[in-house]
Amino acid sequence: MSSDPVVINLEDVSVYYGDFRAVRDVNLPVHDNQITAMIGPSGCGKSTVLRTINRMNDLIPTARVEGKVVFGGVDLYDPQVDPVEVRRRIGMVFQKPNPFPKSIYDNVTYGPKIAGTAKSEFDEIVESSLRKAALWEEVKDRLADSAFGLSGGQQQRLCIARAIATNPEVLLMDEPCSALDPIATGRIEDLMEEIKTDYTIVIVTHNMQQAARVSDTTAFFTAEVDPASERRTGLLVEHAKTDLIFSNPEDQRTENYVTGRFG
Amino acid sequence: MSDQKPIVPPVTPETQHRVKYHKEVDLLRSDLIRLGAMVIETIPQGTEILLSGSLTNAQSLVDSDDLIDQLSISLEERTYSVMARQAPIASELRHLIAVTKLTAELERSADLMVNVAKASRRMYGADMTPEIRGLIKSMSDEAHKLMRLAVDAYADADESLAAALDDIDDELDQLNRDMIEAIFSAATAGKVELPSAVQLALIARYYERIGDHAVNIGERVRYMISGWLPEQAGAARAKNRAELAKAESDEA
Repeated sequence: MSSDPVVINLEDVSVYYGDFRAVRDVNLPVHDNQITAMIGPSGCGKSTVLRTINRMNDLIPTARVEGKVVFGGVDLYDPQVDPVEVRRRIGMVFQKPNPFPKSIYDNVTYGPKIAGTAKSEFDEIVESSLRKAALWEEVKDRLADSAFGLSGGQQQRLCIARAIATNPEVLLMDEPCSALDPIATGRIEDLMEEIKTDYTIVIVTHNMQQAARVSDTTAFFTAEVDPASERRTGLLVEHAKTDLIFSNPEDQRTENYVTGRFG
Repeated sequence: MSDQKPIVPPVTPETQHRVKYHKEVDLLRSDLIRLGAMVIETIPQGTEILLSGSLTNAQSLVDSDDLIDQLSISLEERTYSVMARQAPIASELRHLIAVTKLTAELERSADLMVNVAKASRRMYGADMTPEIRGLIKSMSDEAHKLMRLAVDAYADADESLAAALDDIDDELDQLNRDMIEAIFSAATAGKVELPSAVQLALIARYYERIGDHAVNIGERVRYMISGWLPEQAGAARAKNRAELAKAESDEA
């Protein structure tokens, strides 16, 4: 599907909450310097799958992952793997902008501080991260001000700056624009396009049009319902170039979803 | 008034969003103009082949049409992709619809010049009267001019020029009638064989059709600029007739 090398490979990934299997049998390669979008109706497991990529599901006590998530030749669920290092190399941006109750400057240096980066490098890290997040020009004269004084769109770009300050290889974005207005959304989308030369991006979005606009490949997930328990298990239906998903998808379920006949 | 802010704020690089989308559209536009230039070039080339009887050049024109087809398909595919993925609206939607229509008109025009090249093979060695040769050259020049003006109208978004193409095409239509008459007299006088006469009539038709495609391009450029549709006048007449008929049947 793409000549770019695979950075992360999900192999037969299933996610359980206790006995309940929330997502089953996901096989998904994530290619270098591309934007991979995950779409699908609510409860199809797309956010759950995204969270397996940097072991965020570890924070839920009953959650368990089966299968492999291979990153740099290593299965991230190998017992020897340090989840903190995983999250440094695979950063995340969440649905709602969630800056820390600190200054703009301190938000960006938070990760490098924990990673033990020398303080002398902080100024440079702050400027370069904010520049990459297309926020520098707007905040360079008020770096000491609280991050809460920024608009929602600016806060989300600050969160992106914070995520890239630790120099990750991959950025996971979980509905990064759902709390933003269309202009701020457009800014974030333009930003994604700009930074994908440096990072590999995986984005979960409820907004199908957003996936169509920004991504190189799209993975469509849906849920199957167990008739006895009425519980929903997510699965990956189709993963292909975004052009194909939105013009000539292979699976009828994808066609029904993208044309608005199902979902 | 001069110190007032403009009602419509100016568009600057800082005000632009959806950079990737606009880049894609800009590239479609420049590629369409490039396709236009390629097609325009085929017109004098094909005519030169016909008048000089060069079989080698005839083949190279047929081959170069493959490149035109390739670019046409690429334009069509990319336009559909932008439509499916970027949800274009307003003038940008009309522009993309125009791109698909213009691509088809241009591609077909190039095919007509391939037909001219192929006809020159079929007529190889046959005589043409000086009058017919002159008319072919004039038709070619007119078709060439019309197509160039049509592509200019698109490139410059010039609605007046686009609207004028229909009248400019009258000259080519007249040349077509002159050509048919010249073929008749030459055939009657035994100066042209019947098979050649048929080929020549077809050739005249190919040039005349290129003029029609240029007029169609003009119509689609008008649509792109203002939303005007070529069949609006006819559609309005049909609607009036239907209303009139309904009123009459209601009276009865």
